[in-house]
Amino acid sequence: MGRSKAHYWFVGPAILLMLLLLIAPVVVAAALSMTDYSLGNSGFNWIGWENYEKLFTRRSYSKMFTASLTYVLLVVPISVALGLGSALLISSLRIGGELYKAIFFLPVMATLLAMAIVWEFALNPIVGVVNDILRSGCDKSVIYGFLSGSWLGYDPLESWYGSACEKKFPLWLGDRKYALGTIAFIGIWQAFGFNMVLYLAGLTSVPRELYQAAQMDGADSAWERFKLVTWPMLGPTHVFVITISSIRSFQVFDTVEALTEGGPSKSTYVMIYAMFEKGVRQNLLGMGSAITIVFLIFVLILTLVQVYFVNRKVHY
Amino acid sequence: MKNLTKISAIALATSVLTTPVQAVEIEVGYAYSSLFDVTMERLIPEFNKAHPDIDVKFRATYENYEDGTNTILRESVAGDLPDVTFQGLNRQALLVEKGIAKSLEPFIAAEADFAKDGYHQAMLDLGTFNGEVYGLPYSVSLPVGYYNMDNLNAVGITELPTTWDEVIAACHTLMDAGHKTPMWWGWSVTGNWFFQALMWSQGEPILKDGKVNFDGEAGLAALEQMKKLFRECDMPNLSAGDAGVPFNSGEVSMYFWSTSAVGAIERAKGDFELKTGKYPGMGQPPKGLPAGGNSVMMVSTSEDPEEIAAAWKFVKFATSGIGAALVAETTGYIPPNKAANDLLTDFYAQNPNKYTAVEQSGLLRDWIAYPGDNGLAITQVLYDGMESIVTGESDDMAELQEELVEEVNDLLPK
Repeated sequence: MGRSKAHYWFVGPAILLMLLLLIAPVVVAAALSMTDYSLGNSGFNWIGWENYEKLFTRRSYSKMFTASLTYVLLVVPISVALGLGSALLISSLRIGGELYKAIFFLPVMATLLAMAIVWEFALNPIVGVVNDILRSGCDKSVIYGFLSGSWLGYDPLESWYGSACEKKFPLWLGDRKYALGTIAFIGIWQAFGFNMVLYLAGLTSVPRELYQAAQMDGADSAWERFKLVTWPMLGPTHVFVITISSIRSFQVFDTVEALTEGGPSKSTYVMIYAMFEKGVRQNLLGMGSAITIVFLIFVLILTLVQVYFVNRKVHY
Repeated sequence: MKNLTKISAIALATSVLTTPVQAVEIEVGYAYSSLFDVTMERLIPEFNKAHPDIDVKFRATYENYEDGTNTILRESVAGDLPDVTFQGLNRQALLVEKGIAKSLEPFIAAEADFAKDGYHQAMLDLGTFNGEVYGLPYSVSLPVGYYNMDNLNAVGITELPTTWDEVIAACHTLMDAGHKTPMWWGWSVTGNWFFQALMWSQGEPILKDGKVNFDGEAGLAALEQMKKLFRECDMPNLSAGDAGVPFNSGEVSMYFWSTSAVGAIERAKGDFELKTGKYPGMGQPPKGLPAGGNSVMMVSTSEDPEEIAAAWKFVKFATSGIGAALVAETTGYIPPNKAANDLLTDFYAQNPNKYTAVEQSGLLRDWIAYPGDNGLAITQVLYDGMESIVTGESDDMAELQEELVEEVNDLLPK
């Protein structure tokens, strides 16, 4: 009995599309990253690994890696913890859970670019609402005493709030001490709602019986039940949430483009923004492609880690 | 099906109705909508009066000059160039190098008395490359100082500063009187314009014979001057957009920026007396200042001689006579055209704030762009360098200078 050729027809279209839309562009980018091609030029030269060499030796690119990694290390743990925390709190509610879900999920649905513009207004050092509120607390002794620590007997001018009242409130986006933190804050604000929804889904799959069994075996406190049942049962969700958050944080672009343009002093010069600046703004497609390839490798590593954990059967 | 034909019939009918049948359509792109929208709104009716058979269509405005050049490069790769584009004076060379801009020589040769229209040599030089004119300057700007006279008079300053040391002294006086942000200096202007302004102030270009020229004493003096100014005046790192707002609202009392913004600031400022003053010098009056602004270039790929002729008519109209005079009336730029300046004598008498730049026009020097593919990247390197002074990251100017020279040398074509 001859084998049917039908299977080629089943997988063929998918493979063809994958080659055209995924593999081919990556191959083109990899090839471009070995050239000095600049947009509008009629030709280019092969320069081998020169672009990569620059990427790992130049100061501005080391700032790029620092910014990207710091952003990921800030956003992932906090947004995952907040997502889990809010999911636990919401699932424990009898009523009103839907309302909180909707509220926390709103930033996820809103276009980040539009939200970035709202944040830009709010964070404007002179007319922005954030500094306005902070400033208005300076002459109210209750708030001032609390925030500057003078209630506890500290010198108010030593504290962050007290000295800011005395001098100036920070330029959230113009000061390299604050810029990345501010961008990360917006990132967390935007991402944790998504993680919350994933954890809520994960929580529904934890069988009720396990809690009852744990209680019978002597796990009386809520903390113990969380530690013994909820946490391990959420294993697959953890892997998924952390991977997705990491990849999404590596991809941060809109807020940086709209708010800081990689500055001040390259403190928010994240990878995708660097890609955009080199490849699109400065027309240096060779360098832009090299950053793209390095970025792809980062994402690939994250994905492989995820596959490794899933294969180890983290689920019980 | 029947509906579809009906719809397409309606679409066809409306398209016929909206475009005048014989009009030649040309497409034009320009930068900085906040500055030039008002100018274009007045230019087009005048142009239509003179040439009713030409229909000018604007493309989406470029955010700034770098964006303008990049847009043209992309459109050139995609085969979708407009007919006419307004490009930063310092970015013309790139488009000439890549063969996108068209030489204007054949058009100029066909004009009977081109010089009579007010085009003079000094102005044509700004758009001449390899001995051929590629761009006609449209609006030329110079750096000036904007002063809030109410704030300055209140602390007893009546004379405008003429050197940076006097600016710093004024900063101290203002700060002692409780002003937290006395001054803002436009280090972030596109194309490292203010860095070039400090270099030209000392009579030195930023680039000489294709080599970095800020590696010597003049370069170090420029960087030290910036550091001193930023530190002594306690200048915050406001973004350029953020800085215009506090000056308009009266919080910033001295604002150093391009003269191009006079029109925009006069329209937006609060209730205080605004005066513009000549750009301060480093101990002595500036020996030169970089000419900012933009020029009109032809990038049409059209084969239709009528369209090309229409594009040239627009270029000529915009850069001479009424067209160029409108620039001065609406913006604060100097029209680089004698005939236009003659139309403006009364206007400048009534608008002394816009005359400051004209008074400085003897100082006009090249706004230099860096050659080669890395031109834009070099601009960014110097931008980052200046930013590191503002944010306080760099404190040792000699070290910063060394770093910048090394990086820029590395990016210049060998």
